[in-house]
Amino acid sequence: MRILELKGVNKSFGGLKAVEDFNLSIEEGEILGLIGPNGAGKSTIFNCIAGVYPPTAGEIYFKGENITHQRPWDLCREGLARTFQIVKPFSSRTVLYNVTVGAFATTGKRAEAERRALKVLRRLHMQDVKDVRAGNLTIAYLKRLEIARALATQPKILLLDEVMAGLRPTEVDEMVKIIKELRESGVTIFVIEHIMRAIMALSDRIAVLHFGKKITEGTPKEVASDERVIKAYLGEEYGTA
Amino acid sequence: MGRNTIRIGPLVLAGVIALGLPLAVRSVTYLHILVLLYLYAYLTTSWNLVGGFAGVLPLGHSAFVGIGAYTSTVLSLQYGISPWIGMMIGGILAAIVGVIIGLPTFKMRGAYFALATIAFAEGIRVMVENIDNLGPIRLNGPRGLQIPPLNTGLLNFMFATKEPYYYIILFMLAGVLLLTYAISRSKLGHYLVAGGEEPEAAMALGVNVARAKLIAMAMSSFLTAFAGTFWAQFTLYIHPKSVMSLDISFEIAFIALIGGRGSIAGPVLGALLLRPVTDFSRIYFGGKLPGLHLIIFGVVLILVMIYQPRGLQEPLTRAYRSVTKKLFGHTEAA
Repeated sequence: MRILELKGVNKSFGGLKAVEDFNLSIEEGEILGLIGPNGAGKSTIFNCIAGVYPPTAGEIYFKGENITHQRPWDLCREGLARTFQIVKPFSSRTVLYNVTVGAFATTGKRAEAERRALKVLRRLHMQDVKDVRAGNLTIAYLKRLEIARALATQPKILLLDEVMAGLRPTEVDEMVKIIKELRESGVTIFVIEHIMRAIMALSDRIAVLHFGKKITEGTPKEVASDERVIKAYLGEEYGTA
Repeated sequence: MGRNTIRIGPLVLAGVIALGLPLAVRSVTYLHILVLLYLYAYLTTSWNLVGGFAGVLPLGHSAFVGIGAYTSTVLSLQYGISPWIGMMIGGILAAIVGVIIGLPTFKMRGAYFALATIAFAEGIRVMVENIDNLGPIRLNGPRGLQIPPLNTGLLNFMFATKEPYYYIILFMLAGVLLLTYAISRSKLGHYLVAGGEEPEAAMALGVNVARAKLIAMAMSSFLTAFAGTFWAQFTLYIHPKSVMSLDISFEIAFIALIGGRGSIAGPVLGALLLRPVTDFSRIYFGGKLPGLHLIIFGVVLILVMIYQPRGLQEPLTRAYRSVTKKLFGHTEAA
């Protein structure tokens, strides 16, 4: 079943076309990677899906329902959660408090929300830092906290925006493992990532974005050997050299 | 000695002292000072629902004090309605005005929000100052309204001595503190903190930030108006400069910032520290240096912001915990 579908999505900011005629569909239970050079429009696509701003043109469907103009908090309650590329923790509060905010999306009771938050923290191996103030966490934990909070809302699909940027190689491996476990538990994953090693190991399919346009889509192997992708990343001269 | 004893013990002790204080304090002046101290602790705690938890800085809460004071006074003077009922009606009216002010202003950030709330509050004050009669309602412009002290008694919210006022404001303060405690642990409390610290992240986690802030604003202005009614019944004379002056809004903000906004103990602590400064500087320097207390507040605020930006409640809580840890040998969680 198609869980998320983007049809002819366009987004411009003033005269700048950030995303042009973008089509994509994600199957339930899939891990789909979105890659592209800096400024290609990846985060803009995430923001359109998550309801931060509506696309200039085009439609977005979630579980078959048109969600093009829905607001972020409603989408979250329907099962679409996301993380932010630039982490946004509630710094003055503890890790547990941060995750509990997410858990309140599906329950009104504090005891139940905290119970769910603790469960998520255990799952992400964060139970040891649950009483640490979020502002004092290392970047690796902050990235994980982003996932924990989103996960606490009990999503059907999780949009991960560069959760591995800034991590050490061992931490990247750990994160890849965590994301794979999430998929095993039934969450569909849509992931933006720059670290090629990680995205190749993770994704079932990869879409490549360049200057706001999708230039190709396929399995990691297909994408890695695609000439257009190599050019997009390394420049026109690389092909002729 | 269990954990709960450590946590509840000092609160019970403070409660007993507060209840017994009028037996020890026979001076009318000191009792008056204490009543004002509780009143400001109450005001700041009500303000804290928006200014503390929701992370914005409203500087127009004097408008709600005025709405509460004027509503109950007009209703009791002109229609013979008990101030207790007037207090409720004033609260509802203030909540409606609070939401009307909040709708456009919550879209603004930082100083712009603070300035917009000042503008609303000053606008309301200037209006009341220039209106003698609003339809059948007599407001008396800048001269204000006097409540003749004829029928004292609980039903009329009017007493010949200070003690009843002392106990009423004490119970109001206890009530609003309990409410704040309950809210801070609830979904709404979490949503307010989240929306105040990182609105974008909060929205992505299912929080309708604007709605949470409006609910908090409605509750805060509702409770603030109660203080206005209390003030009117306590002084038996209100005029725009006394119950709608920006000085009230500023003093609330000073108390909250120095005590620690967003915490439950902060407003009470701030009032305990700052109210005596206000009153004693008025008593001893009122003739020569009026407004001295505001200068002192300014200096204290600068020092607190440099050394304890989260307010004085934080180092004091830490000190308190380390003392209980030394005494009873185990740590206190949250």
